[in-house]
Amino acid sequence: MSSKDSTPLKIALYGMDDRAYKTMCMYLKGPCKGIAVVVDEHEAEIDLLDADHIKARELLDQLQARKPNRPLIILSLEEILLDGTIYVKKPVETADVLAALKLAKVSLSTDKLKKAKVIAKPETEQKIESSSPPIPKRKKESVTEEKAPVTKNIDKEEKRKVSKHRTAMDLTEGGFSAYIGNVDGINFSDHEQALKASYNPKGYFLGYVQSALKVCKAKGRILQLNSGWKPLIVFPHSQEIWLDVEDKQLRAFAGVAISKNGAKAMSLTPIDQSKFDIKEKMEGFFDSDHFLWKLAIWTSKGRFPDTIDINKPVYLMQWPNFTRLVVTPHAMRIAALLIRGPRTAMSIANALNIKPQYVFVFLSAANVLGIVGQARRQVDELIAPPEVKPTKSKGLLSRILGRLRG
Amino acid sequence: MSQYKIIFTGPVGAGKTTAIDSISDVPPVKTDAAASDMTKNRKAATTVAMDYGIMNLDDGEKIHLYGTPGQERFDFMWDILTVGGIGLVLLLDNTRADPFKDMQFFLDSFGKFISETSVAIGVTQMDLSSNPSINEYHKYLQGSDLKPAIFSVDARVKNDVSLLVQALLFSLDPGLEGE
Repeated sequence: MSSKDSTPLKIALYGMDDRAYKTMCMYLKGPCKGIAVVVDEHEAEIDLLDADHIKARELLDQLQARKPNRPLIILSLEEILLDGTIYVKKPVETADVLAALKLAKVSLSTDKLKKAKVIAKPETEQKIESSSPPIPKRKKESVTEEKAPVTKNIDKEEKRKVSKHRTAMDLTEGGFSAYIGNVDGINFSDHEQALKASYNPKGYFLGYVQSALKVCKAKGRILQLNSGWKPLIVFPHSQEIWLDVEDKQLRAFAGVAISKNGAKAMSLTPIDQSKFDIKEKMEGFFDSDHFLWKLAIWTSKGRFPDTIDINKPVYLMQWPNFTRLVVTPHAMRIAALLIRGPRTAMSIANALNIKPQYVFVFLSAANVLGIVGQARRQVDELIAPPEVKPTKSKGLLSRILGRLRG
Repeated sequence: MSQYKIIFTGPVGAGKTTAIDSISDVPPVKTDAAASDMTKNRKAATTVAMDYGIMNLDDGEKIHLYGTPGQERFDFMWDILTVGGIGLVLLLDNTRADPFKDMQFFLDSFGKFISETSVAIGVTQMDLSSNPSINEYHKYLQGSDLKPAIFSVDARVKNDVSLLVQALLFSLDPGLEGE
């Protein structure tokens, strides 16, 4: 390359605020290795326009009127093909910018671009189209274009539902037993005993709440579940549950099997508004998923629901919304593993080297949300799940994790 | 020493700066502050046009937290930013007109990086607009190869941001245990 070739192109920038302007200056200097240098408009050899700027159309018209023969590079999310311009698609890649600058440089001497529209690509992909009337392929709105904030559905009452938007409780192994309570007579360290540690959700308050939710959803009606204890109200349209109760009371009630007499007391009736004013107790509102998750944990106490065949693989359809749930020990690890493919509960416990009760309580909670399923394909039973291979940067990731957990 | 970084991205106003602030050990360098610094100090190191924070690890290692500028006009930086990145945290603002479109845009834009690492998605402002729900975000992604963690997030709350980043780390390696 001659010394003349290595002289930086003089470029003027348009449609950029101070920050973008300075960043582009650095970008040309750094990743683009100084192929061009930003100068004022009157000194420039070529122009570069950010066509996603709110006044881009106006700027373009001005440029084409003032400097009709000066090469113009256009950056945009949507493809814009205009005569005499070089288009670079966003997100911009360095190779494309370099190719565009090279084309611009060539055009300075050859006038080649005057009647052509060009999409800048590295040399092997370069495409020059024939002259035709300009047809800017633009959508009216681009995704992240800076504009007046767009807001919708702002619900002032929603902010008062503090329980619904409360952040997660993150349990450690140490706090787990105290939080969920123990089941007498089960030693989870004993493989055989662990495999028999099941419970029937229908025999607990959990089963009745699940049933009430189904009925309310099917009927599309707000109904009140009476249990001889505290009334619970189901709002099927907003997927909310209202219950004026403290956690420790609910935990105690959740863990007790409902007797036959207790079952007779259960009923689903229209809401009796004369007895309580819901709007005065907005903190009683819970997201129904979050409520069920918590109730399932307290019902499970480390056991698995008998609706799951514990010897067969299960799969996870989606991650639980952990920031609004009680995060039981190892729950995130279990989710991350199970989202990769089906496994049995014991295979999960072995792969992560954890006690099965942590897997069981996770499966109980995920099961009530309907995000865990029993694998039906024979292949899932016949083929052993892949080993959990540690990543190369396991040490670093573990240190970050340790730092986040304080 | 290697440069390790976690990238925070998302549209304008999704809470990237606040999220970085929540878990950074140093006051984050914010875009505006950086711009005004430029006028006083022309050192390249201070001329970042993105949000930036640091997490200090016990062994002296630093994890750099980079927030991409939300406006498209800045996106020529994205391919540079992701070099050496551990993973991507995508924050979406639920009060925007079409959060699904936002999500698709960022997942597409960072597709290569995500395929090489992982992504965790945080949806902010759900206390102001509860629709779309988290389940609807998952449904939207059905059929794609991605099954990312998607959490409701209040970017001001350290625990929310911490759990989101933890999900990103576990997605990379479920066998991780904190040190």
